[in-house]
Amino acid sequence: MEKIRVVHYINQFFAGIGGEEKADHKPEVREGVVGPGMALNAGFKGEAEIVATVICGDSYFNENLEEAKKEVIEMVKKYNPDLFIAGPAFNAGRYGVACGTITEAVQQELGIPVITGMYEENPGADMFKKSVYIVPTKNSAAGMRAAVKKMVPLALKLGKGEEIGSPEEENYMSRGIRKNYFAEKRGSARAVDMLVKKLKGEEFVTEFPMPDFDRVEPNPAVKDITKAKIALVTSGGIVPKGNPDHIESSSASKYGKYDIEGVMNLTSETHETAHGGYDPVYANEDADRVLPVDVLRDLEKEGKIGSLHRYFYTTVGNGTAVASAKGFAAEYAKELVADGVDAVILTST
Amino acid sequence: MDLENQKRVKELTEKYGAENVIVLIGAAEGEAAGLAAETVTAGDPTFAGPLAGVQLGLRVYHAVEPEFKDEVDPEVYDEQIGMMEMVLDVDDIIDEVKSIRDEFTKFED
Amino acid sequence: MVKEIERAGIPVVHMCTVTPISMTVGANRIVPTIAIPHPLGNPKLDPNEEKALRRKLVEKALVALTTEVEEQTIFED
Repeated sequence: MEKIRVVHYINQFFAGIGGEEKADHKPEVREGVVGPGMALNAGFKGEAEIVATVICGDSYFNENLEEAKKEVIEMVKKYNPDLFIAGPAFNAGRYGVACGTITEAVQQELGIPVITGMYEENPGADMFKKSVYIVPTKNSAAGMRAAVKKMVPLALKLGKGEEIGSPEEENYMSRGIRKNYFAEKRGSARAVDMLVKKLKGEEFVTEFPMPDFDRVEPNPAVKDITKAKIALVTSGGIVPKGNPDHIESSSASKYGKYDIEGVMNLTSETHETAHGGYDPVYANEDADRVLPVDVLRDLEKEGKIGSLHRYFYTTVGNGTAVASAKGFAAEYAKELVADGVDAVILTST
Repeated sequence: MDLENQKRVKELTEKYGAENVIVLIGAAEGEAAGLAAETVTAGDPTFAGPLAGVQLGLRVYHAVEPEFKDEVDPEVYDEQIGMMEMVLDVDDIIDEVKSIRDEFTKFED
Repeated sequence: MVKEIERAGIPVVHMCTVTPISMTVGANRIVPTIAIPHPLGNPKLDPNEEKALRRKLVEKALVALTTEVEEQTIFED
């Protein structure tokens, strides 16, 4: 059996090019392995080989989705690979979205099998698990070895064109695909078995998990914006200079509530960002670039809005658990209601 | 271990030779300590830095380990590290770092 | 967080750069912004132009808040 040719996609950080300040790195391709590709290659034990690695900055990819997809696909095409692997992205949001986007695109346009890996809560997971194989990983690069261990066998199977079993057997995120099979017992018997277990308080496994949409209906529009009290909320981590409440730069365990009564403009003297997931330079120079206080104050003065609420709420979206963010918002939403806020502008990076 | 430090360790090792380098780390808990120790012995386990795939096999110790603690002035140790020693999970850290060292360091002392 | 605010009964507009993420998290009113490190700014412009740009985006957000929507809507130009 000939060696399976693989092209690997990674971001600027894992390529050793740099961190956030290099997140705008345009796509480039290098022969052979770079960074984590070494681990994947070692895992393949000669059955497959990474012939080239495509590297692209996370911000560049996410801010230029169509362009970047095209450029990367061109690069991949040249190598005529049998398999395409992206990441693993762990909990890095932009990286996860890039991995999901590019694997889906390669699968669609080049018709070759693809695989990627990321943490369950990575936004890329929800977005792409239905269309591509995503191996669940830990939430940080400390889980690299474990991730590679899970990705390699599935990658080899895909590269060889073998049949892929269930998510539990093969270690990938459920794709919502229903496969027909013949069960030993008939449906009614299985249903009764399940019911008896449930009544007895024993554990049972559902045959069809109900999808959890959790959509919230949009609220009615604001009737008169010139009389409305608008509140600002951000996940971009804008805090008073010095970050007095020590909101973490990643995996935030809290949110902040800060008073901007009488503040017309955020400056590098008064505010900064605590967020560790994007290049902080621009936000530190002028926090209005993430929390537009200056403009809202102008609009307030001109009577275009009723008023800007005196408090803003902030947290850091970087790697913060969905459950935590939900908890923060449920709490401060109550305060917003109590304070008579009519509408919220929530900014994210 | 961050990329800058990985680079420094790599360069110092290339300059002075692995047998003449000891790495002393101060991570606040077991997992981080283990990662740093693994980085300078078996190679960067996250494959993100200059030591990805590079096995330096260096001698590495954590500041709370007896091998270090016993070699230094107890008063100075108490002053600088005493406080942290009380709040850190010292046993966990020692376990992590020692097991990495036993498995990956090339020197047997 | 957007969904929780909406659940509390307050109309909310999500201003963010990677709109597919906003769609996934379930925001109903979405305004695309400039770039990840400076969603409401552009350091390449001079300060007055930059503020004018920021104002345009915020005004779009206000339009989103005053527009009835049935489903997730991205308010482009």
